[in-house]
Amino acid sequence: MNNIAVRCKGVTKTYGSGETKVRALRGIDLEVKTGEMMMLVGPSGSGKTTLISIVAGVLERDEGECMVFGHDFKHMSHREKARFRGQNIGFVFQLFNLIPTLSAAENVAAPLLINGVKRRNALERAREILNLVGIGDRTHSLPSELSGGQQQRVAIARAMVHNPKFIVCDEPTSALDHETGHKVLELLHEVVVGVDRALVVVTHDSRIFEFANRIAKMDDGHIISVSDSRDFRLNEKLN
Amino acid sequence: MIRKYLLPVLAVLGLGFAVLTVISGSKTIPPALPFVDPAAPPFKSSVAGTGIVEANTENIAIGTLVPGVVSGIYISVGSKVKTGDPLFKLDDRDLMAQLTIRRAALHVSNTTVKVAKASLSDVKNQLALAESITDKRAISVEELDRRRYAVQIAKAKLAQAKADVVSAMAQIRETETNLDRIVVRAPVDGKVLQLKIHPGEFAPAGIIQTPLILLGNVEPLNVRVDVDENDAWRVRTGAPAVAFLRGNKEIKTDLKFVRFEPYIVPKKSLTGDSIERVDTRVLQVIYSIAQTDLPIFAGQQMDVYIEAPDQLQKSSAISQIEQAKQTGQSHE
Amino acid sequence: MNFIALKMLIGDRAKYLGIIMGLMFASLLITQQSAIFLGLMTRTFGFLTDTTLPDIWVMDPKVQYIDDLKPLKETEVLRVRSVEGVAWAVPMYKGLLKARLPNGTFQTCNVVGLDDETLIGGPPQMLQGQLSDLRRSDAIIVDSFSVKDRLARVMPDGRREPLKIGDTMELNDHRAVVVGVCKVTRTFQSQPVIYTTYSRATIFAPRERKLMTFVLVKAKPGQDTHILCHRIRQVTGLAAYTRDEFKKLTVRYFMKYTGIPINFGVTVVLGFIVGVAIAGQTFYNFTLDNIRYFGTLKAMGASDVTLLRMILLQAAMVGSIGYGLGVGAASVFGTLSGSTELSFRFPWQLLSASATAVTLICAASAVLSMWKVIRLEPAIVFKS
Repeated sequence: MNNIAVRCKGVTKTYGSGETKVRALRGIDLEVKTGEMMMLVGPSGSGKTTLISIVAGVLERDEGECMVFGHDFKHMSHREKARFRGQNIGFVFQLFNLIPTLSAAENVAAPLLINGVKRRNALERAREILNLVGIGDRTHSLPSELSGGQQQRVAIARAMVHNPKFIVCDEPTSALDHETGHKVLELLHEVVVGVDRALVVVTHDSRIFEFANRIAKMDDGHIISVSDSRDFRLNEKLN
Repeated sequence: MIRKYLLPVLAVLGLGFAVLTVISGSKTIPPALPFVDPAAPPFKSSVAGTGIVEANTENIAIGTLVPGVVSGIYISVGSKVKTGDPLFKLDDRDLMAQLTIRRAALHVSNTTVKVAKASLSDVKNQLALAESITDKRAISVEELDRRRYAVQIAKAKLAQAKADVVSAMAQIRETETNLDRIVVRAPVDGKVLQLKIHPGEFAPAGIIQTPLILLGNVEPLNVRVDVDENDAWRVRTGAPAVAFLRGNKEIKTDLKFVRFEPYIVPKKSLTGDSIERVDTRVLQVIYSIAQTDLPIFAGQQMDVYIEAPDQLQKSSAISQIEQAKQTGQSHE
Repeated sequence: MNFIALKMLIGDRAKYLGIIMGLMFASLLITQQSAIFLGLMTRTFGFLTDTTLPDIWVMDPKVQYIDDLKPLKETEVLRVRSVEGVAWAVPMYKGLLKARLPNGTFQTCNVVGLDDETLIGGPPQMLQGQLSDLRRSDAIIVDSFSVKDRLARVMPDGRREPLKIGDTMELNDHRAVVVGVCKVTRTFQSQPVIYTTYSRATIFAPRERKLMTFVLVKAKPGQDTHILCHRIRQVTGLAAYTRDEFKKLTVRYFMKYTGIPINFGVTVVLGFIVGVAIAGQTFYNFTLDNIRYFGTLKAMGASDVTLLRMILLQAAMVGSIGYGLGVGAASVFGTLSGSTELSFRFPWQLLSASATAVTLICAASAVLSMWKVIRLEPAIVFKS
């Protein structure tokens, strides 16, 4: 039980109503353990993004159960949810979502500032983390002055600066070339999985499947299979 | 860094300048102080009027009965005169000449009387002589009658000559009266306030704009106070009054009530236009100035306040305002 | 978080400048136009601004504003003087008379006749000569603007030679000698102002039965002026106003019977609309452009309150900068135009009124933006 980060059971989610009703999730059962990198793969519209939104507490589910480190978002107010996210969850986005007018260090410091850390301490910690992800020399650069890989490193640094227990990544490599993507995934693996955090990565990119511990394949609102990375790759190749 | 702070600094400067503008623009203009402080009414409730200082005899505009050229003046401005003192004289040469002629005529008349007396004696003698003759033949009846008539004629001539003398003397007296009339004399005791003629000038008879001589008794001076007819009812007989000299409110004097002018007159205006229409009438009240040692002159204007009852019983509106204020104050 | 908000704002220079420019122009337009309007309205009672000594102005009950000349009988001054609570009351003549200038042209002048004895109601500031010089024969005092401008002597070569002390002019066919130059607040019609004594003014004036325009009254110390006004009205049947009441009466007349307030009102409203349209719109756009980052912050745990504070801070920042620049520019404009015909009056009430207007604009756009941010689902961050 202790090493279970996320546990979902029968989670459903429906957008809209009547004619335009879209059933994005039709009963999801999923477990993510700490120290594990779980990848969600599947075609567009299969419900991957909806699932991590619910898991990360930025979207309400309709039915089912979903516990994140033993907490259920359904029983929290907006405020409590926001605080919970701020303290326990890190986010890495597809387009990095770095604030373009802030320097790398300032972007990284944002989660700490949200949690009420003093500006000077937050910036110091941000610089440490940037050092850790290997771009300690670019702390004062604006996002537009950084390469894609460097930007994603900044984004990763931002996701982990406040020591969250759980990080969600949405297509972390879609804007990156193969080599950079590899490096970023290596970094993620190193700084997250290595220190017992849970990590959920949504991706299309089959080139990075090898970094996952487990891969959940989704289609049409269902998880159609959960398998070890090696098995999965084998199956894919066969198909 | 400069770019970062440029706008905020500019904004602060702008606001500062605006505040400066506001402060410099909000200076209130100090009141222009009066050149002379106006007098304030000395009574709680009073009627204000404009007073003009005049002699207690009123100002007498001396005129002449006969028009003529002035030949001599016996007084100067400001001199004190007694009743009957001559003031000035008109040219008397024509009258003097007339007097001489008339005196000569008297002389002639006197002489004529003497002649008449002599001729009467003559005819009387002749009649006596004729009557002493008893012989009726020596003198005819006609002759006797003729002599009697001659005496009567001579008597009548004497009477006529005597009458002529009286007439001539009357004519002399007339001329002498005329001579007296061209000397104008003071009608009252007083002071010459204005002297507007000089020897050689023509003095017309009748009412004229500028009087030849303005005369009046100035001890004490009187003040003629104009009170608007609308306020006239408030002035009571004998009401105390205070007059302020224009130009210096420190010079003020108590006034003693003399009388009302019983007739309300139109207000004299400063514009001096002859065809002025007047719709304001004023009650004139005469007061006497108690103090004599003040630099006050006849003809001067004074601001006069006459003690009078309040214009109105306090109307309900005013008392309401006052009441509201009082309760407001007591609440404070 | 405040510094993130500010950096977000300032970092986007084009929009930042755009918003500030919009607000600046809004506040400039509102302030400057209102100031000119206030200036004009102040000029309508410029004469009252100058004549501060009397507490109460007594006039014909039909008088509607300061230049509405309906003279009184001269004995009314006595009646007013007789009212309880009046310390003093002096007559004043005010009228428009034609002055004939040396070059043959005519100029209508505002002639003010002061009580001969006290010279009450005189100009507040003498630049040359003294008020008491009015006691000299045929003496007049002329205001400093007209001396250089309307009453100046035009030389054959076109130069304007200012009127000097000792110069003579013709007032309604009467000789008048300049004995002083005074400074007056400009009036609405901007006619030359000529001061002289009451009795001389009546000589200058055309022959009329009534010549006294106003009776100036000072209340006895401790006398409530409003009660005294009431009493004067009741006793004499004339209209009596305190200085402020008379000012209000005059302004009300101009507000009611001239198009000036509408005219300026429209411009001020336009300024406000420009402010809302440009600045508000740009600010809202700025928020929309950054909505993705607000969403990111929201996903990362920033509460709604925090985000609202950020937006309010941004609005306050651009608001205060735009306001400062705007009122600063308006003041500069006012200072530069101080020596021209343009009226410009800038009281503190206007300063705070334009602050309120700018605050309203900022608040309106901030509210729109905040609405957007509150409604924002953090889940959008996962949408590409």
